Amino acid sequence: MTLKRATKRRLRDGAAYVALLAVIAIVVLTADRESISKNFLDWDTWKSLWPDIVLTAAKNTVKYTLISFAGGILLALVLALMRLSPLRLYRWLATGYIEFFRGLPALVVIIFMSFGVPLAFGWRPPGGLIGGGLLALIMVSGAYMAETLRAGIQAVPKGQREAAQSLGMGGFWTMVTVVLPQAIRIVIPPLTNEFILLVKDTSLLAFVGMQYNEVELTSFGQQNLISSADASPLLAVALVYLVISIPASQLVAFLERRQQKVAR
Amino acid sequence: MLIRLTPRATLAAAVLSVLALTASACGSDSGSDAKGSDSPGASEAPDLNLISDGTLTVCSDVPYPPFEDFDKTSDTGFKGFDIDIVSAIAEQLDLKVAIKDSSFDALQSGLALNTSQCDLAASAMTITPEREEKIGFSDGYYDSEQSLLVPSDSSIASIDDLDGVKLGVQKGTTGEAYANEHASGAEIVVFPSDGEMYSAIKAGGVDALLQDLPVNLDHQNDPKASGQFKVVETYDTGESYGLAMKKDNTALIDAVDEALQTLRDSGDYQKIYDTYFATDQ
Repeated sequence: MTLKRATKRRLRDGAAYVALLAVIAIVVLTADRESISKNFLDWDTWKSLWPDIVLTAAKNTVKYTLISFAGGILLALVLALMRLSPLRLYRWLATGYIEFFRGLPALVVIIFMSFGVPLAFGWRPPGGLIGGGLLALIMVSGAYMAETLRAGIQAVPKGQREAAQSLGMGGFWTMVTVVLPQAIRIVIPPLTNEFILLVKDTSLLAFVGMQYNEVELTSFGQQNLISSADASPLLAVALVYLVISIPASQLVAFLERRQQKVAR
Repeated sequence: MLIRLTPRATLAAAVLSVLALTASACGSDSGSDAKGSDSPGASEAPDLNLISDGTLTVCSDVPYPPFEDFDKTSDTGFKGFDIDIVSAIAEQLDLKVAIKDSSFDALQSGLALNTSQCDLAASAMTITPEREEKIGFSDGYYDSEQSLLVPSDSSIASIDDLDGVKLGVQKGTTGEAYANEHASGAEIVVFPSDGEMYSAIKAGGVDALLQDLPVNLDHQNDPKASGQFKVVETYDTGESYGLAMKKDNTALIDAVDEALQTLRDSGDYQKIYDTYFATDQ
């Protein structure tokens, strides 16, 4: 019995769909629906979260993310330029910084900045305990994004720089007006990645202590997990995270598509 | 030949596996009901519905000295008032004891118990009406008092001085509830645990801590920060700590209550109590 290649492929694809359906069937059939509705879908609990979950918790998560991303990218830019500097001292400093802060868990840096630095130096970061935590997030995300930016700058063809120089542009203006705009376009996808990681890393700030008007999504969920004694707040908070991160990445994807059209 | 048959074989295998798995899923569904309601074959007279036979599995949010702390030299790997009480109860019930470190969130929301991670939670947990809705409690085994800890050079002398002051509390504790009720003028800062909170008051991030008295006393007497902090006020909340169990496991709750009473009658409870709290105040 000989089968046409197209038939074979159809059968193979069909099998993949059947396998997927089987997995879904297993998940649905083995789920304990009563327990799920009791523990995750308690309507009264869901109602009690509103509107604080958006007006306080989600707002703070977005605020903390934007602050640490903006600060992080500025720091990253400085570090990336230092790494590409002709001066060896700058290269060493930048490499040392990046290796150090990439190698530490963000939580450790956060606790160190909020509790350790005031104890060791008597200096308190602005913004209190949370301020110290945000500073830590900037320091860590800056280290990650510096490497991304450096790769982006290096990916801009050498001819661009040479052309600018042949027009008589100095090193600084070549970097700012010719190389960086192109580099940023190259690194948008990995930076989106870093942004979404930061959205979630803001949950670590809860460790330094938060006032009720300072809570972000995860600690809000945990506080309500305690008062409601069921897991509904965690599911609610998880959904809000998706509501933040998916549109953000889709927006970037849209901008990227538009830019590519212009580029062609 | 073999190669030609492959797509069909794949399909057949897939269909078969769906059928088999669906069947087994249905099977386990109906089977688990029977298992949950009563498991026959337990040797002792009252069936305590333990998650592992012959062992009392206990969850606790460690460390929280002097109630629970790590101790490599002990049999269980832990030490503390709660650990000693639970071990004594397990001995009364002729059970071995296994202690698991857990998060307080999971314990007091009842999740750890309802998902059968442990039979009993012993974690300096105050008996409250809200918790009693989801959890079954033993009789109280320790009368809890709240307290206010401030730096020794602080001008704060009582809970009335807290307006506009940063007051550290632990998430989800009686201390947090007490602060919300009686220190509404304070800027309440919520921490995941005492470790962060104590670091914060040392670093000057908060001005006072409101939490269980024994923990604050520990900080007052901290040899590494001697004379730096003092407890300025204590509050009797009329509440006591209870051992938490699955609400429907009345057999275990009754057995634990009975064992607790035996320990009080025999004086063993007092002995354990004195080990930890006798010289305080």
